[in-house]
Amino acid sequence: MSFDHSSSQHVTSSLMRESLVDKNVMARTEAPVSAILPDVNVIQIGGHSIMDRGRSALLPLLDEIVANQAQHRMIIGVGAGVRSRHIFSVGLDLGLPTGALAALSAKDSAQNAYMVSCLLAKHGFVYLEAPFVVQLLPAMLAAARGAVFNGIPPYSLWEHPPLLGKLPPHGSDAGSYLVGEVFGARSVILLKDVDGLYTADPKIDPEAEFIPEARAQEIIDRKLRTLPIEPVVLDLLTRAKLARSVRIINGLTPGNLTRALKGDSVGTLIRQ
Amino acid sequence: MKNEKHVLPPLGGKLLSGSLTDASIQQATGDSPDFAILPWVNVVKIGGQSIMDRGRSAVYPLVKEIVDNLGRHKMILGTGAGTRARHIYSLAIDLGLPTGVLTVLGTAVAWQNAQMLHYLLAQYGIPFIEPEGFSTLPHYLMERGAVVCQGMPPYKLWEPNPPTGRIPPQRTDTGCFLIAEVFGARKMIYVKDEDGLYTADPKKHPSSEYIPRISVEDLLARDLEDLIVERAVLEFMARARNIREIQFINGLKPGQLTAALNGEAVGTIIYRNGDAK
Repeated sequence: MSFDHSSSQHVTSSLMRESLVDKNVMARTEAPVSAILPDVNVIQIGGHSIMDRGRSALLPLLDEIVANQAQHRMIIGVGAGVRSRHIFSVGLDLGLPTGALAALSAKDSAQNAYMVSCLLAKHGFVYLEAPFVVQLLPAMLAAARGAVFNGIPPYSLWEHPPLLGKLPPHGSDAGSYLVGEVFGARSVILLKDVDGLYTADPKIDPEAEFIPEARAQEIIDRKLRTLPIEPVVLDLLTRAKLARSVRIINGLTPGNLTRALKGDSVGTLIRQ
Repeated sequence: MKNEKHVLPPLGGKLLSGSLTDASIQQATGDSPDFAILPWVNVVKIGGQSIMDRGRSAVYPLVKEIVDNLGRHKMILGTGAGTRARHIYSLAIDLGLPTGVLTVLGTAVAWQNAQMLHYLLAQYGIPFIEPEGFSTLPHYLMERGAVVCQGMPPYKLWEPNPPTGRIPPQRTDTGCFLIAEVFGARKMIYVKDEDGLYTADPKKHPSSEYIPRISVEDLLARDLEDLIVERAVLEFMARARNIREIQFINGLKPGQLTAALNGEAVGTIIYRNGDAK
């Protein structure tokens, strides 16, 4: 380290005195990224699609997770579901801003994640809050058999204003994906109550066509009316450095998760 | 609950049964009213490289000006990161670490600067507040008139990648802006070491032109190579519901912060088209 003697005390570095907003400086920071936990699979359990259905949907899924424990390391993100939709409607009625809605909603997914961790506790899974994901996840994975985390990212009051309306854009799909991206996970698998991506909502439109594989940008360009995934995940995928795909599978169909973990083509694979 | 719909606010039914990715439902949520949580608070961001890294000569006069304004204006003081963040970003990029890890590292630098500012303001009863402690903030603002916090948003490992390169796209300018937006603040003031916005970095291009007032739409359309503020702030401002303008002042010039707090048009103001007052 060396110091110069101008009024601003600089430490020598390649970014010294540079504006981090300058496009040329930003482009210079393009360099290879290493995966921190390359053998971990991020599994996201949907809130509305799985958790809210209770025992009949969740317990077979947890059995399948446990059955795969010996072959695959897994960390499990959990979504919020109907309680968040309720508090969104109350919060919006009260005039609360997006950041406040995000702070409130994160408690619903925390509750769901905590319940999942209780159900998996006897198999060695631990529940980790965001600060512990930052500090302890590798140690916990070495010592414990797996971890459960809150799918909603810790943006809280700092949630981004959405493009449309007031709902927080980063839910548990985004949070789980970002965990996969930052750790360079082997796979990111989202468990929903539909088989994957369709040209329309298959619950409403029987003519809807199934899409087994697509690029994130293609899906953005198609401007589908509804999606089985938070749209922000598609944007994040276009900028991926490590987690370059997300697989959406039906968590209500036994065997799907096992096949997805093996790398079989099941559900919809969304690629960068 | 016999009839669920009767205990729900107007949007309740749609939100409970519909898809949250449906644009018509998202649109409907935008029609709800906007309640300002702390309408009298001013968010003031103290630059890292531009102010804090200069040490006593820049920081002491600014601290005095903050103290002089304590009785008149309530302030959330957020800090930038600066030189040490540049060092650790370049080191971490060299080591192959991802953007989320750079955010964790950069947050520590903004935290250090916030601590230092807090030590200088401690004798006036000004606390330092972590993001987790923000619920105590109204109390300190009412009792002491100001709080210090670190400017980085608490995204930690969950920071999204930038479109190019590896530097976290949402840093301290953005974190402070989002505090102002969520609380419906009276003002968002950025204290830097320039008089405001120029067509290029005036430190490198002496011929660059000064821009005292510009709309966020115009500024985004100009697609400048360099800016006085993180691009994320401009993108968020274009769709914000509470913050209509942000102000950039020179913290090395005594009196500018006071003038900005008093509502004077010093420095550069970036406003939202259609909302210019």
